[in-house]
Amino acid sequence: MSSVPVARASRGGRPPSLVTRRRVRGIAGLVIGVGGFLLVWTLLSALIFGPFTLPPPSRIGSVMWEIVRSGQFIHHFVPTILRLAYGFGLALLIGFPVGYLMGTSRWWRAFFHDMTIVAGSIPGITYAVLALVVFGIKILGPILSVGLVSMPYVAINVAEGLDSVDHRLVQMSDAYGRRRASIVRNVLIPSVAPFAFAGVRLSFALAWKVEQLTEVFGSSSGVGFQIRHEFEDFSIPGMLAWVLLFVIFMILVERFVLAKLERYLFRWRLEDRP
Amino acid sequence: MATLRVEHLNKTFPAIERGSDATTAIDDLSFEIGGHVFVSVVGPSGCGKSTLLNIVSGIETATHGSVSVSEDGSPARLGYVFQEPRLLPWRTVMQNMLYVLEGEDVPDRARDYLRMVGLDDAGGKFPAQLSGGMQQRVGIARAFAVEPDLLLMDEPFSHLDAITARSLREQLQGIWTEAKKTVLFVTHDIAEAVQLSNRVLILAPGGRLFADLPIELPYPRKASDTEVAMAQAELLRRFEEMQEETDAARATDVAS
Amino acid sequence: MSQATTVAPASPIAGVGRLLRSPLTARIASYLFLLVAWQLLSLYEDRFPPPADVFGFLWIEVTGGSHGGIVRGEFLEHFAATLPRFTLGIAISMVLGIVSGVVIGGSKIAEALLKDTLLMLVALPAIIWAFLTQMWLGLGDTAVVITTFLSAFPFVAVNVVQGIQAVPRDLRRMSGAFHVSSYRRVRHLLLPAVTGYLFAGFRFAVIIGWNAVLLGEWFSSSEGVGYQARYWYDANRYKGFVAWVILFIGFIVLIDRVALVPLQRRAFRWRDTQVKQAQRRVEGIDVAVTGA
Repeated sequence: MSSVPVARASRGGRPPSLVTRRRVRGIAGLVIGVGGFLLVWTLLSALIFGPFTLPPPSRIGSVMWEIVRSGQFIHHFVPTILRLAYGFGLALLIGFPVGYLMGTSRWWRAFFHDMTIVAGSIPGITYAVLALVVFGIKILGPILSVGLVSMPYVAINVAEGLDSVDHRLVQMSDAYGRRRASIVRNVLIPSVAPFAFAGVRLSFALAWKVEQLTEVFGSSSGVGFQIRHEFEDFSIPGMLAWVLLFVIFMILVERFVLAKLERYLFRWRLEDRP
Repeated sequence: MATLRVEHLNKTFPAIERGSDATTAIDDLSFEIGGHVFVSVVGPSGCGKSTLLNIVSGIETATHGSVSVSEDGSPARLGYVFQEPRLLPWRTVMQNMLYVLEGEDVPDRARDYLRMVGLDDAGGKFPAQLSGGMQQRVGIARAFAVEPDLLLMDEPFSHLDAITARSLREQLQGIWTEAKKTVLFVTHDIAEAVQLSNRVLILAPGGRLFADLPIELPYPRKASDTEVAMAQAELLRRFEEMQEETDAARATDVAS
Repeated sequence: MSQATTVAPASPIAGVGRLLRSPLTARIASYLFLLVAWQLLSLYEDRFPPPADVFGFLWIEVTGGSHGGIVRGEFLEHFAATLPRFTLGIAISMVLGIVSGVVIGGSKIAEALLKDTLLMLVALPAIIWAFLTQMWLGLGDTAVVITTFLSAFPFVAVNVVQGIQAVPRDLRRMSGAFHVSSYRRVRHLLLPAVTGYLFAGFRFAVIIGWNAVLLGEWFSSSEGVGYQARYWYDANRYKGFVAWVILFIGFIVLIDRVALVPLQRRAFRWRDTQVKQAQRRVEGIDVAVTGA
């Protein structure tokens, strides 16, 4: 009789947990998805366009590897990422006070209304070419275009966040005699934070494209500059390699850094009641 | 333990739209409570019970009259338990406790009061991870932890299911007996008022004091005790009296 | 606004105060602020033309100047070159976007294989298509149309996929349980669910396509709005350049606010009231000022 549990254990022990199964399925999905992408590309390259017009993935892959290996990657990514970071810093620095005004005063909301609403439909090329004229080929151009693109999203979301503040929590704090600074820190900021973060995530997808476009139009370093450079050299593989490196990098940042950070910062929203 | 003195209190809310009348929530209300007492304020909804608590706690201001809470001449400390838990969802239970506490030995004090409501191991959890009853218990622990001179409770069990509410009522009696606080408790549930308090104020519609009744029964009380049931019946009788009186007054109003 | 008109001011001073505090004043103040900021910018950076120069130039571009009175501005000529390219690019991206959206949204296998490709296409910046089409096709209409199509198409497809997947599963099961015919299922279940997303996709396509058509014309055309902006830029005539930038911003903002946003809001009106209320709160000032 003692052989029964042994036999059961040898058949694979406990069934895999839900988390493991989900993770396995996620990885399998990614493999199939990336495989599908490469397959479509290879087919297009071989059957329709030909290897000169659309180089196959293997060719682009080797160019990408060369870019990474030679240190070019670091050399041009660092300035691009730094400009992005400065631009976002600027957007937060101005977007927060503007959002605060919009969220707390009807007059200021009306004042900024048209600017923030219109900002969503302005084509990205506008920021790139205006930065070119106003600031020439200087480091300031890309930073300002990132800031200008992201600011309205941050402001609108901060205003929405202020609208969502639960006044009953403010009342509770008053009843317990909390000071204003303490209420701001413990009630207002945590209420607004998820909205502000959503605004940042929303604008991030747009901002890096506009930044890179600004670099294409006028910059002497950065990924956009390299794309322009390869274009002027008539090098399709070089151009695609730079673009793909950048796009993959940004998708990774969005999916892993920003999504993980959001999940950590707002873990209190997870409802796993006993 | 503090003394709460309410004198000729009046609260009138201005008309919301033009043409409608201003509403009187509290009308010429006077009473005084102090010492280790548990005073319930009962009345139909809309008779200004919550407004009374809000004025006492300073969230709202009175139109006329005065409210004073004093602790041997010095300003008194207040605790407040709301209808909903009103915990900060982004802070853990422990951080929620610390948010309202000041002074030394604060973490120890928070832990003591969490233990008192039976939640000593929930300190690291977020409110969303607790059941509604547990959240309300944190709210109660928070109110007691500030070691208030006067504890205000605004229908704290009305949003909970009957079974959880019943067990919390029994727990609350124990906590109050042990902690020796002055409690002002607002409810529309007569059975609850009788079970918990040793003095009941009945407010009539319009915020007028209709009756002030002592309930002299030993603690702990159960809702099923015969004496509690009899006191309840007595209170209900007074309530009906009030109802008839109001109806009669309304009838003469209409007639004139 | 409505308050300011219905409530008679008690005294002239109170009336002025109320007028200053009204949202309309705030709006006017915001435009004045932008003008002043622009003027100051042009003083600080002499490459950047002051508003008066730009608007003067705009007037000539649009009306053809004061002489003759006959409309012969560059404005019409170049918009006439751009709009067919833009329309064609959007039309192709709508057709192919809907087809591929239905395929990916309707089949598990197609979704597994192609969804990441689609997301990759969404992430690709339009400038790449502008460069690639120029290298593939040289200067001309085709390159611009294809740039527009390739940039806008993935956004349509993604929205259609989302729309199809947003049909709640329990509703699908309910329809199965009641033996609802497939015509009715498409008519009452699938279409209402997808329409809103389709409009959202259309709006994205128009906004993104407009950016793409401008980029395409900047790099591979010899006429059109995007080319005209570049022409003045290369000629170092910045007031012409800024005037054309204003024209192409004005065009898309007008289309978006007058046509697309109301359409999309209408198509989504069945969605949960909370979203709608939030939207109304954001848009509340519109209503207050126009009195609608």
